[in-house]
Amino acid sequence: MIIAERKPMNEILDMISGINRLLVLGCRGCVAVCSAGGDKEVDIIASALRLGRKKAGQQIEIDTDTLVRQCDPEYLEPLKERGKQFDAVLSTACGVGVNFIADRCPGVRVLPALNTTFYGANLSSGEWIELCAGCGSCVLHLTGGLCPVARCAKRLSNGPCGGSVGGRCEIDPNVPCVWHRIHDRLMEQKQDKLLKDITPIRDWTTAGHGGPRRRIREDLLP
Amino acid sequence: MIAGSNLEQVLRSGNFAVTGELGPPKSGDFEVVRKKARILKGHVDAVNITDCQTAIVRMSSFAAGLLALSEGVEPVMQMTCRDRNRIGIQADILGASALGIKNLLCLTGDHQKFGNHPQAKGVFDMDSIQLLGMVKQMRDEKRFQCGEEIKSNEPELFLGAAANPFADPFEYRPIRLGKKVAAGANFIQTQIIYNVEKFAKFMEMVRDLGLHEKVFILAGVTPPKSLGMARYMKRFVPGLDVTDEVIDRLSDAKDQREEGINICVDIVNRVKEIEGVSGVHIMAIEWEEAVPEIVKRAGLGPRPEPQGIEPRLVSTAAIEEAVERARHEVRDEIEKELKKARSEAEASRGLLIKEKEKASSEIAGLRKELEEMKDSAARHAAEVKRLTAELEETKEKLQQAGPLEAAVGEAVGRPASTSHTGFDQGTMTEGISSGKLSPREQEALSSLNLGLKALQRVLGLNEDQFEALRRFLEAEFLLQLGQVAQPVTTAAVTPPPVEVPVAEASEEAREAETRETAVRRQKEVVNLVAKANVLLHKNKVEEALNAFKEALEIAPEDEKALEGLNKAKALLAEKEAGPAEAKEEAIPPAEGLPPCPEEFTPEEWSRKWVVRYVAMGNVRLMKGDNDGAIEAFKKALELDPGDEKAKEGLERAKTGKGIHVPEVSAEKAAAEVKEPAPEEKKEAPPTEVKVVEEKAPEVEEAAPKEEKKEAEEAPRPAPRAKLSGAPEHEGVGSLEVPGLEKETRSLAERAGSISEDLYKEPCSGSIKDVIIGDGEKAIAVGGETTLPFYLFEGDMPNPPRVAFEVLDSRPEEWPDVLTRYFDDCLDDPVKWARKCVDEFNAKAVCLSLISTDPNGADAPASDAAKIAKEVVEGVDVPVILWGCGNADKDTETLREVTSLIGNKKVCVGPLSDANYRTLGATAMAFQLPVVASTPIDVNLAKQLNILLENLGVSLNHILMDPSIGAVGYGLEYTYSVMERIRLAALTQQDEKLSAPIVANLGREVWKAKECRLPSDVLLGDQERRGVIMEAVTASTLLLAGGEIMIMRHPKAVALTEALIEGLM
Repeated sequence: MIIAERKPMNEILDMISGINRLLVLGCRGCVAVCSAGGDKEVDIIASALRLGRKKAGQQIEIDTDTLVRQCDPEYLEPLKERGKQFDAVLSTACGVGVNFIADRCPGVRVLPALNTTFYGANLSSGEWIELCAGCGSCVLHLTGGLCPVARCAKRLSNGPCGGSVGGRCEIDPNVPCVWHRIHDRLMEQKQDKLLKDITPIRDWTTAGHGGPRRRIREDLLP
Repeated sequence: MIAGSNLEQVLRSGNFAVTGELGPPKSGDFEVVRKKARILKGHVDAVNITDCQTAIVRMSSFAAGLLALSEGVEPVMQMTCRDRNRIGIQADILGASALGIKNLLCLTGDHQKFGNHPQAKGVFDMDSIQLLGMVKQMRDEKRFQCGEEIKSNEPELFLGAAANPFADPFEYRPIRLGKKVAAGANFIQTQIIYNVEKFAKFMEMVRDLGLHEKVFILAGVTPPKSLGMARYMKRFVPGLDVTDEVIDRLSDAKDQREEGINICVDIVNRVKEIEGVSGVHIMAIEWEEAVPEIVKRAGLGPRPEPQGIEPRLVSTAAIEEAVERARHEVRDEIEKELKKARSEAEASRGLLIKEKEKASSEIAGLRKELEEMKDSAARHAAEVKRLTAELEETKEKLQQAGPLEAAVGEAVGRPASTSHTGFDQGTMTEGISSGKLSPREQEALSSLNLGLKALQRVLGLNEDQFEALRRFLEAEFLLQLGQVAQPVTTAAVTPPPVEVPVAEASEEAREAETRETAVRRQKEVVNLVAKANVLLHKNKVEEALNAFKEALEIAPEDEKALEGLNKAKALLAEKEAGPAEAKEEAIPPAEGLPPCPEEFTPEEWSRKWVVRYVAMGNVRLMKGDNDGAIEAFKKALELDPGDEKAKEGLERAKTGKGIHVPEVSAEKAAAEVKEPAPEEKKEAPPTEVKVVEEKAPEVEEAAPKEEKKEAEEAPRPAPRAKLSGAPEHEGVGSLEVPGLEKETRSLAERAGSISEDLYKEPCSGSIKDVIIGDGEKAIAVGGETTLPFYLFEGDMPNPPRVAFEVLDSRPEEWPDVLTRYFDDCLDDPVKWARKCVDEFNAKAVCLSLISTDPNGADAPASDAAKIAKEVVEGVDVPVILWGCGNADKDTETLREVTSLIGNKKVCVGPLSDANYRTLGATAMAFQLPVVASTPIDVNLAKQLNILLENLGVSLNHILMDPSIGAVGYGLEYTYSVMERIRLAALTQQDEKLSAPIVANLGREVWKAKECRLPSDVLLGDQERRGVIMEAVTASTLLLAGGEIMIMRHPKAVALTEALIEGLM
């Protein structure tokens, strides 16, 4: 799931300065699940903005709405016209949604209400953790299912660095050393050979270093 | 052999290797690298050059490695994956290899989070193992990482890697080391070892894997510099195992550094014995000096002669050194030459000066002689007169006798012509007069001569004497006729004393001619020629030419002069454009200017002379020669009747206002003296001056400068002097304070189109009115419905008031700058209070009953009450009676007072929670306003008001004293509390806080040490300081909502009242 978090309210207020009619547009996808941009958050953001503007002695007219997903064209269709009735649309979707609106709805000014942070999981209520870097070249079968690209500070491929002490990463004692865990898991699974093999230098093009990525599946094309 | 580096050779030869570490500087200073390299040189086989260790930006390992190499120290270049991707890394490797670097330590690198750029993007395109593989591929397979072939000169590098035996998981560490070896590591340097046991265990595992036979392992050691460093490493460096033994050893050590080295040596000795350890890597971080010592003590020295160190860029240092050496040599050479030239110049200058001195002393001698001659001539003049008279008589007689005349003439003339044929009447007259004299005058002259000759005989003068006398008289004669130019005046005009000899020189030239002394003439010629040569050298061709000419006039055959003249002429011809300075040796006669030289227009020439005359006039004026000055100015005005300076000068000369320095103020004099100076410099000195005395301008310039400095400095000490005398009102000047400029337009006007409700926030509450005093001069305070001075939002019917503080006994701790205003009445509170009212226009007085303080004088309440009564009755303004602050004593005193003064509406205080009952009841009985005093706190203030109200004291009779801090002594706290009190009253209608506030600030301000320290340069004037502190405190408290300010200094009161007036 994509994890996102709301931008600081002042940043959003600065962003919408001069805007008198605003649509706060939520998304019931990932951002709703991670409590950053669903119906509830849309209402909160809208209220906060009204208050903020009022405090500054300015008027603003705010409408709210939430789409099923902002990353599918059919849901965006009505926005193409509706969006033009507003000075701007403040999207509480992830970066994908904001981009998609900008791509699909000409004449609609779209603004991001969230910072899209990472691909992660919900650890417990109110706590999310990054688990995948979307690098496009998965090595999890070699690393006991734990990702060194997303979870090692130095993205190491060949075992823990010299800063791994007591199973903790040197950059922060609250961060577990993923390579230590990989080691333990592989040993446990009697896959210790994997620990002796040298992983060759990675090809980072799949991670976006080869330019924007695109995926086409012929059989599904219309 | 892989790369043939020294390290590789040492290791392969089976020697126990020693490597060191060199941290490049956080600057571009290569000297740091050099210095460290030199310390390590000869004690280690190679030196690790760290690559921005702990992610702190430093000189790159590559560059610093080359610098070390050029010092003859073999570098182990470090390469981390943090800062470069595969493109950058490979590029640097090619460069390093090309420039002679043969060892490369491949590292992943410390995370950027630890460095000084934690926001940086960490590259980590690969890890250290992949890096090793990549470089090995470049070296052994001659392929770049991408697989492309390296066509030639593949990097030949001895590859190293790091291993940390103390990181986790421990059992994986040897395996990971194995990965590094498999990837391409030729040598391993381990993390710093303190826990030798653990390391030994690690090595055992390494040996089990057989790795010790595939790779050279160097054990990392570091001498702990101090206990602090050891503790830091133990706690904060991940993957570093500092044992308690090390900590203990250090903490027990007398000399921690010494012990640090010992610890390190012990560890070296121990790891040396472990199988598979091929050497040590000594990391003496910023302590390179320790390395030689450790090597020595551990018996690792001397190191094998280094081999394979081939700095390709040795030239940089070498060239530099060579260049430096050459530069030194050249500099020495030049300096030698320069010295020689200088001493020569010095010598010739000395010669010149000597000549000059000689000449001037001669001239002085001549002058003296001349003076003597003049004297004797004057003496003889009388004789001559007598003789002339006699002669006339004789003539008359002769005329009477007629034919006898010729005979007598012959009789008188003959002896002369017989003895002095050269001085007969004819030649002489011709010599002087050039035929310009009238026959009558000629006759007189010849008679004079005849008489003189007779005189010579009579007085027995020798030839020289006679000649001098003759010339003198001739000159006198001609002067009387008014036909002589004024060479003497020239000398007088030429102002600077240093120039006199020179001016004299021109005179001397004539003198010499007259005297015909061969030797002197010769000297003169030599002088002139020398001078001319100097001039010529200085490119003052015209002047030189003149000098040569002059010399030739004296000695027409002088070869040197002739030669010089020709040279000068030639130069002059070359230098066509150069404006030829006219020879300015004498002031031109009044009746006309010298002919205008070609290079000037007549106007310019005339202007030049005007300037010259004015300058001359000024100089004479300065010398006190008013008549001469008048003459000069007049001449100037003849040429240019409009010249302001000349007019001004003439005026000054006429009124006798010379430019006498002592008469005018130093400053003015400096200015005036300075004014004529440049002109004088420009015009007055004849050409010779500049040559002979170069120092002259300096002297001239120095004089006015000095005077100016004095003038500048003179006024400065004055205020200080005044201060020490401490006359009245010195520090702050007048007590008058000009009113503030009032804003005449209302805020609504100024706000323009901004609607009122945007900036107005009117208050709903109001402050109580409290009336103090009675009669006409009673004052009301409070009553406002707005924040202080927010007149656009609400009403402020009564302006805040200032009450002068008067003490009931002589103040002991008031600084002089305060007491000086009340000197005459400090012992008499009534007089004091009256003075405040009469002189300082006090609107209210606060009598502080300090004498009653049980901790002080502890005067009986009755005495204080008596004084209070007198004061209250002595002034017509409202009086605040302020107790000593001791609750019990104040109760006693104030009760006494109230019983004495009866119905007079004084205000009493302070009432605290300890005595509010008794005093409150008293005040209530007499309907007196009270001051409710609380420690600085909103709630306490409110509470006391409530208590008083419960007692029955009307809120209209309460003033609040929230306790005051002076500026610098808690003012901001006071401000904040007062502001909150005021906001509660006004915006939350908190009636219990709506009493006016009285601020007893004078006593707080004046007890601050800033008000007591005497005046000094740093803190400034003491009085001003105190006044400003008091006024600033008062202004701040006014803005916080204070209604009554109790203050001390009249000036501070005036300032505060002006502010109130300005804001209302």
